Amino acid sequence: MELTMINLKLKRREFLQLMGWGTAGATLAGCDLPTTVTLEEGKEEVVAYLSPEEYAIPGVGVWYASTCAQCAAGCGIHGRVREGRVLKLEGNPDSPINHGKLCQMGQAGVQNHYNPDRYTSPKLRRDGALVDITWDEAWKLIEEKTGAAANLGAGRLAWVTGTLSGHQAALMAAHIEAVNGKHYGHEVITPAVWQAVNKDLFGEAMPRLHLSKAKLALSFGADFLGTWLSPVHFSTEYAQFRKAPRGILIQVEPAMSLTGANADLWLAIRPGTEGALALGLAYMLAQNGVAAPDALQGVIGDYAPSKVAGITGVSEARITQLAELLRKHAPSLVLPGYTAQGQAQGYETTAAIMLLNVMLGNVGQTITSGGEFPFPQLAAKSGNTRDLIAFADAAHNKAHDVVFFYGVNPVFTAPAALNLADRLKNIPFKVAFTQFPDETAAQCDLIMPVASYLEDWGTHAPAYQPDGVIGLQQPLMETLYPGTPGLGDALLTLLKARDAGKYGAWNNYYGYLKQAVTSLPAQYRSAGQSDEAFWQSVLQKGQLKVEVKSGALQAKPLSGFNLSAPATGGDYPLTLIPSPRLSFWDGRHANLPWIQEAPDQITKVVWDSWAEIHPATAARLGVEEGDVLEIASEQGAIKVKAFIHKGVHPDAIAVPMGQGHDDYGRYARNRGANPLRILNPVTDAKTGELALYGTRVKATPTGERQMLVKAGRDNISQRGRKLAATISAEQFRRTEGV
Amino acid sequence: MSLKNLVTDWSRYRQGIEEGGFQHYEHRWGMTIDLNACIGCNACSTACYAENNLAVVGKERFAKGHFMHWMRVERYWDENYAEQQHPEQGASFLPMLCQQCGAAPCEPVCPVVATYHTPDGLNAQVYNRCIGSRYCNNNCPYRVRYFNFWSYYESSWPEPLNLQLNPDLTVRDKGVMEKCTFCVQRIRVAKDQAKMENRKVRDGEFTTACAQACPASAITFGDLMDQDSAVTKLWARHEVARHDDKGRPVQEQHKEHPELRGYRVLEELNTDPSVMYLERVREELA
Amino acid sequence: MQLIGTSRTRAGRYGWLAAALCMAGVLNTASAAEPVSMQYPIAPQGSYKGLDVQQPIEFPHDIHTAVNKINCLYCHTYARQSKVAGIPPTSKCMGCHSVIATDKPRIQKLTEYWTNKQPIPWLKVHDVPDFVHFTHERHLKRFIFDNPEVMNNLSVDTVAPVCAMCHGDMRAKTVARKDKPMTMGWCVSCHEKNGGPGDCWKCHK
Repeated sequence: MELTMINLKLKRREFLQLMGWGTAGATLAGCDLPTTVTLEEGKEEVVAYLSPEEYAIPGVGVWYASTCAQCAAGCGIHGRVREGRVLKLEGNPDSPINHGKLCQMGQAGVQNHYNPDRYTSPKLRRDGALVDITWDEAWKLIEEKTGAAANLGAGRLAWVTGTLSGHQAALMAAHIEAVNGKHYGHEVITPAVWQAVNKDLFGEAMPRLHLSKAKLALSFGADFLGTWLSPVHFSTEYAQFRKAPRGILIQVEPAMSLTGANADLWLAIRPGTEGALALGLAYMLAQNGVAAPDALQGVIGDYAPSKVAGITGVSEARITQLAELLRKHAPSLVLPGYTAQGQAQGYETTAAIMLLNVMLGNVGQTITSGGEFPFPQLAAKSGNTRDLIAFADAAHNKAHDVVFFYGVNPVFTAPAALNLADRLKNIPFKVAFTQFPDETAAQCDLIMPVASYLEDWGTHAPAYQPDGVIGLQQPLMETLYPGTPGLGDALLTLLKARDAGKYGAWNNYYGYLKQAVTSLPAQYRSAGQSDEAFWQSVLQKGQLKVEVKSGALQAKPLSGFNLSAPATGGDYPLTLIPSPRLSFWDGRHANLPWIQEAPDQITKVVWDSWAEIHPATAARLGVEEGDVLEIASEQGAIKVKAFIHKGVHPDAIAVPMGQGHDDYGRYARNRGANPLRILNPVTDAKTGELALYGTRVKATPTGERQMLVKAGRDNISQRGRKLAATISAEQFRRTEGV
Repeated sequence: MSLKNLVTDWSRYRQGIEEGGFQHYEHRWGMTIDLNACIGCNACSTACYAENNLAVVGKERFAKGHFMHWMRVERYWDENYAEQQHPEQGASFLPMLCQQCGAAPCEPVCPVVATYHTPDGLNAQVYNRCIGSRYCNNNCPYRVRYFNFWSYYESSWPEPLNLQLNPDLTVRDKGVMEKCTFCVQRIRVAKDQAKMENRKVRDGEFTTACAQACPASAITFGDLMDQDSAVTKLWARHEVARHDDKGRPVQEQHKEHPELRGYRVLEELNTDPSVMYLERVREELA
Repeated sequence: MQLIGTSRTRAGRYGWLAAALCMAGVLNTASAAEPVSMQYPIAPQGSYKGLDVQQPIEFPHDIHTAVNKINCLYCHTYARQSKVAGIPPTSKCMGCHSVIATDKPRIQKLTEYWTNKQPIPWLKVHDVPDFVHFTHERHLKRFIFDNPEVMNNLSVDTVAPVCAMCHGDMRAKTVARKDKPMTMGWCVSCHEKNGGPGDCWKCHK
């Protein structure tokens, strides 16, 4: 008998092979939970496998590669699996996006998967109440309404989804084509305006940014460490940027973001005046001999520092200083954030900011071509708010008979002014493909529970690509609730109902995906590698690097501006800033207990909403921390506790996005307020995007006071102790020897 | 048994100081947190929740101070915050976790030796020995010990959230003190694996959950006894020593180049922490 | 027994091994029927009378080991590479029992589980509390793989006595029954004699 030591070093192999264990229940029955209390013999079942793979060893964790779906950045992940349960997620070190790192939303992904409030079986609304139906009944109902026999007219079926990419996007396009339907992609946290400017300015929507190569970054509210484009990627870039000789970060925004909290210089700006400051800087640069692009030539004359200081609230001295710093530290990088984009003149504001990059010669240096993704059908279809408005209009006009929702909660994210919940009543058959009972599902006729991203197959080609990559998503464990399809499987079922001949060949989305990946051009595999070996290697790596052809980035001429200063004063003296957070995101993570219990990075508040107001504003209103304010716009009012904070402009009031759910499970329900509800339905003229940061409000104390629960209540001053010590950059450079 | 350990380890520690080193230690786990890189994003803290079965206590209990975040990110404003119109230099973030003190104030006060010093230089907490006197918590200058005032199993992990629990460590019950362990379950696996292969633990072979998650790579973890480890090099580079050249613990760090960024929090208390911080850096643009 | 036990008090970590090696020639001739304690005199101290557990199939350890001489680690193969020894997967049983003794009722029951693709719901007999980290891997390396006495003469009769230190002699039992107290003091009695780690955090988690 051979007794050699076998030390299997296998990791991240194909997961499906593990599925010979028997039912999930049987697998989990004896699983090694750290809470079993009995030591008595014969009381507990042991993990017993039927016919496991040789690398599945009880008591030893196995790591599988996949792709994170907590936001659209597409970070590569490794999931630790033991006894059939996924326990912990880490970043995939090989990923060019996140380099082995993972943010708190990614870390909390397991709580999305194991969430106790997930739907477990399909439900149909009968007389207003949801009743359980079988999977067969549910699919049959959908087939009746949308199958080949349903006789759907052109444009009568609509899909509303979040950002999609990869083969799910390709299948989605196929289904839209098959039913001659309409697709709306909606995200409320979206760089759509920036992309539109880039398209006009550079000819491509998503150029590549090189923060690590910049000597100075001037950010107009771009929270690239928290919520902008690809936060983990830019955090890794930021770490390089801050190494000696150390780049300078200057953040100008109406309310302090996570990136702002890390800036060398944080400047509060009057909301909506970012464009004026950009033009003021261009004026100063031109004064100092930097040639202005044609588009700015006739415009900047009006933006002398004295005038700009009046508009923006940023002092003349600061404007001069910023221009000087920009001139001295080349190459730099100037970035427009959501607060600059989300205005009635969002396009012009963003363009003015981006033109600074042209003026400073950053194009080709810190901004290069993002290139052409080789598989356009897999490229990201980024969601935006224009589609939300279009969908609300379509619902109002009774343009659709059937609507499918997936990965999106528009009833929560839409301003009340769009009247979406009511307008949805015009659509006779509404299906929510959702994991959770959310506000949109509450308006739907049929609930189709879906698999979590840790149970599902897929590919992801994120919109922001630091280096060409397709992330592969594979299940890290068996589905908790048998029958729940992923998006790919749902689409395949729907397509089979339309065209069995074309799609009948695939039993499931796994089969489709495997065939699709293995039929990629031969250049992506090593010579002589078999289909199976290639597929295995992609699964092991969790990604496929693709070649992105890119040329030199050229700035094109841009038509002129018509920037007018935003309104001030009046009945509504404050501007509402619905600030996105690296926690709740657009509200989708408010149901994760770790996210609720994690103190907000800036305010350290937990389990709540808050309204950041400047002490000067607070003094005017006569409020203190915890006083409940009624924040009212023309469209409605919300009640939020005041948080007195100097990191906010006196003309702004910032309320975090993502709380205030009516219906999103036990952790999110009836907690805080949703600032998106009271937004005015104002759009950016050029792009049709919602002006998220353009709503004027008034705040009135209600007289009520409640405690705002915070971590580290006294963490304002270090009281002279050396806790988090600071030194000057000059000293840093000296000791680092540069 | 444990009492013997305590006495042995403390006498070893004292002896080590007198002999000018800790050569008889096999490992001496240490950490560096670079505040120039830290962005205060909280990834470390949530990674810790995921790895270490930390209970979610809810708003009401959080308000009473019953929270369990072994790794927390403290946020401070500038000293002149009161006079400022705006915090123009942003915030100061300080990730705070158990400093795994060499001369830990928590250890000698435990009436039942549930907290003691391990031969790896960690401040251990043996949960099933703890009687919940909370003396250790009272004596900790860093406030990094967390007490289970309640039994959280039902409330924190309703099914199927409990399936996420890490079987490599227990879920602590009511009446027990808990704290950061430097992910001792990962240390245990790495040491066992090294022994199985008859070798030493390699630097970078494993790291703590917080260090692994940190998007800005601000946290470096490793073995201070390994002269080639990244963390040892950082400590040496910044002239932070666990004792002076005569082998005495440092009251205040005497550096040849006092401008170097390395320091240990509340070092003046002579707790000999195993965590070195590197100072935050700000451009002076006033 | 007493001789070796006392002789290694200052002998250091591997002292017991040297002493045991001197006896190796004698031990190797020992038959399986001899008491375990003669071969492995440093087992943890203590006794316990366990419950009889009704397993789904009355698995005869005695037939597999004492009669058919199948090595413990052939079936409990995870023990050498994991902290848990694990139950062998049904596929391993079927490796033999698709042809051997197929007419026996117990084998027919096994085949039924296999055909229905159901894992067999074995019940746990040996367990340590959740706050204890115990690893088979390290113990096996110490007492089997680093032990020339066993490795030079590898058979069920040299391996089983090692397993017997904690599990009792499985060569004399059908289904497993807990024969040892598995308490901390019991563990420590062995760690002290054999130079096992004495640090609380080595085992407490």
